[in-house]
Amino acid sequence: MLDTFEILTTSGVVLWSRRYSPVGPHVINSLIRDVFIEERVPLHQDDAGSKPAYRKEGYTLKWTTAKDLGLIFVAVYQSLVHMTWIDKLLDNIRALFVGLYGEQLSSKHGSVLNCDKFAPYFERQIQDLEGQSDSGFSAPGTKLTPPSSTDNESADESVPTVPLQKLQKPLYDTSADSTPVPTPDTSRPSTPAQSHLLAGKAGPGGKLSRRNKKKFAASSAPVSSGDEASVKRKGKGSAKKNRVWGDFGAEEDDPSVVLDYSQSDLGDEAPEGEALAEINPESWGSRTGKGQFVLKDLDMEMDQIIAEQNAKKEAPASAASGGGLVGSSLGAIGGLFRNVVGGKTLTEEDLAKPLKGMEDHLLKKNVAREAAVRLCDSVKRDLVGLKTSSFTTVEATIRTSMEKALAKILTPTSSLDLLREIQTVNAAGRPYVLSIVGVNGVGKSTNLSKIAFFLLQNHHRVLIAAADTFRSGAVEQLRVHVRNLQELSKREGGQVDLFEKGYGKDAANIAADAVAHAAKTDFNVVLIDTAGRRHNDQRLMSSLEKFGKLAKPDKILMVGEALVGSDSVAQARNFNQSFGPGRGLDGFVISKCDTVGDMVGTLVSMVHATGIPVVFLGVGQHYADLRGLNVESVCRLLMS
Amino acid sequence: MAWYDEDSWATAAFAPKGSTIAITFLLAVLLPILLHQFIYRKATPTTLPSFLLIGPSGAGKTAFLTLTERKVVAQTHTSTAPLAVELLLPEGHTPQSSHYRSPGDPAYERSRQFQLNDTPGHGKLRHFATTQLANPTNVRGIIFVVDAAAVAEEAGLNETAEYLHDVLLALQKRYTGATSSKGPKEIPVLVAANKMDLFTALPPHLVAQQLEKAISEVRKSRAKGLKDSGPALGGEDDSLDEDREWLGEGGEGSFEFAQMEEVGTTVTVQGGNVIGGDGVDVKSWYEWIAAQL
Repeated sequence: MLDTFEILTTSGVVLWSRRYSPVGPHVINSLIRDVFIEERVPLHQDDAGSKPAYRKEGYTLKWTTAKDLGLIFVAVYQSLVHMTWIDKLLDNIRALFVGLYGEQLSSKHGSVLNCDKFAPYFERQIQDLEGQSDSGFSAPGTKLTPPSSTDNESADESVPTVPLQKLQKPLYDTSADSTPVPTPDTSRPSTPAQSHLLAGKAGPGGKLSRRNKKKFAASSAPVSSGDEASVKRKGKGSAKKNRVWGDFGAEEDDPSVVLDYSQSDLGDEAPEGEALAEINPESWGSRTGKGQFVLKDLDMEMDQIIAEQNAKKEAPASAASGGGLVGSSLGAIGGLFRNVVGGKTLTEEDLAKPLKGMEDHLLKKNVAREAAVRLCDSVKRDLVGLKTSSFTTVEATIRTSMEKALAKILTPTSSLDLLREIQTVNAAGRPYVLSIVGVNGVGKSTNLSKIAFFLLQNHHRVLIAAADTFRSGAVEQLRVHVRNLQELSKREGGQVDLFEKGYGKDAANIAADAVAHAAKTDFNVVLIDTAGRRHNDQRLMSSLEKFGKLAKPDKILMVGEALVGSDSVAQARNFNQSFGPGRGLDGFVISKCDTVGDMVGTLVSMVHATGIPVVFLGVGQHYADLRGLNVESVCRLLMS
Repeated sequence: MAWYDEDSWATAAFAPKGSTIAITFLLAVLLPILLHQFIYRKATPTTLPSFLLIGPSGAGKTAFLTLTERKVVAQTHTSTAPLAVELLLPEGHTPQSSHYRSPGDPAYERSRQFQLNDTPGHGKLRHFATTQLANPTNVRGIIFVVDAAAVAEEAGLNETAEYLHDVLLALQKRYTGATSSKGPKEIPVLVAANKMDLFTALPPHLVAQQLEKAISEVRKSRAKGLKDSGPALGGEDDSLDEDREWLGEGGEGSFEFAQMEEVGTTVTVQGGNVIGGDGVDVKSWYEWIAAQL
């Protein structure tokens, strides 16, 4: 069963929602954060038709957007339930909502939208689709009804087993013929406060209580005229249903009638629904007619709106293909003019060529192909359906949009202040452990000593652990660095030492020993150097998991060179996954940035692959040549 | 037929004919109207005094906006786009500028109008706010919404303090970078400590204290931190970093909000809650807004 359906704006205001069972707002918040802002979740599509799904805490979320109006439609349901018609529902609701309120939304200036009247449309859609999925291809699991109930004939036979569920089923079937629908369902939504009360009713639990009600009602006295009217109307309206149930006996008919009354009684006693109020003053016969008319109207209106929206979508495509020579040339001239002046509505065809150019430009800047394609896709998603503002060309619009996308991908989500983190960890009474990993020869030891220099300038007591027990000269190299750093930091007041255990030992144990040693001898930062390893060598990478578990680093940085090309994506991804579940990289150090000029695409590729921020950039050969990332300047370089 | 013939169009255009007079008259009347329609088709940009809603994600910015707009809080989620809404100051609050106006005065109604600009608070989407901060044409004040319960914890406090530090630094830069001798117009900041209804929320004066302390820390670690990669990547010499600026009195000592008054920014901290079991309490924020109008 559907748990929640929400229509919200990109600015975060919920315009309309229907909840069947409580779902915490954090579920949708995390969808927005992970999918729309950080784009962290890869949008894998099983097949072309289905929409992407996002899973969180046992819920599955599906969504669709109306870009030009800034609307997001989200459907939340339990992951256990397989719902085949959600995609269709989202599409239909979007078409309906945009059709009904589109003009209002684009014209007004504010966040208020009065869409109380939307509820009946939504209910009808749900009923239609649920009915379709049940009768059409008897989707297993969507309802608890046995498969035999799919058509009326078989329903006849199986009546005695599950009479109550059967009662609902034919109703949905008949609704496809645009005969009336049970009143309680349609009148319920018109009283928003009531929907909360009745939220539980829609599920299987609702049926249970209905059964109880039936028992109760069978023994209770007859009911007031108004309510009986609504009941009777239903009975008359669906003549088909009457026939079906007649077979079983009059007995079954009556309780069912009373049963439904009891539900509507619960729902509509205090705040009289619109539908009921409309019907009450009329006689029985015309009441049926009236009800039929109202519902038919709603149905037709709904279909009309959806058809209109679909036609609108298809219109540009057909217009492009159709039209004579004169029309097309006029259109071309108009398009050129629009391109210069602005005010052109962008379609995918308009964007295809400039985007290809943009992709090539990014590839030239050493951005990995995968990242470039994704950036272009996000720009396309951003722009399709938008109007260019006045006096901007398509190219310029793409440029600004790409700059925005780059800034978004590079900007870190959380703070990257190393000094504060050290302070926080030390306050807890243990040394801060930072370890560095990477492929061979990217500059792990060099960058480690640069970071050590930076920390020494801030008067930290740093212990460098030589956990590269593999390459000859690795320990000696670090010893030289430490000696230099000791000389440099003598006046500043920092303290630095080397922790070494020679070659051939297990790196993870050395690292763990170093941390213990640091805690004993009052060092407050431990920097661990590791051996370089090829990222696609499973044997070498597997030791990283043990390393992560034993040394328990507070931060794991991966060093990547700016020189590397499209391999950067695989490097970042493999290293990020090598620490086992629940642990990944915390940041990147991009070395040798001074050697690539403006081709700094590696930064983008690595961040794209993992969503992990760049913490440091190495920009030279000296200890002091370590820099923080400046997003704007990188964007500028990439776009130049 | 040449143009100078008796029945050519040129002769007709200058002849005292009824039709010519009618056309001329229509042209004379309609042309200005059409021109006006064309040029002023778009409504003239409103110059309402506006307030900027800034703050970390989940602090309650959009909720406050909806509360002001429709008197009830709408359900909200994480924003991904900015939102600007024109509003009326709620009943019971009189704008500072019209204390002596009678309620019937049409100017009184006009003075109660203002615009509230909501910005997304997520780390990746703060450029919406920073671009507005860089060029605050009509901004009368900045409302920095803070989750008073999140500030009680280290992580939330750090995030909030860093954002507030950046906002205040931008305001200070605007003041010190001004070319006119008079200095730019003041932009006061209201630190709106939201979610006072929660049990774990800190009271406003504690929020102020914690933020001041945390901002001092931020400033300190920024001073010690690494330089930006900007000039180095651009191929410029980055040995000069004289243009770096420090918040407050040259970045010395501990930071206090009072130090911001020197650079034309008054910081006020007020508590309130947008959502709550015992009703909503945002009176003090409206009072602050009224004082700026």
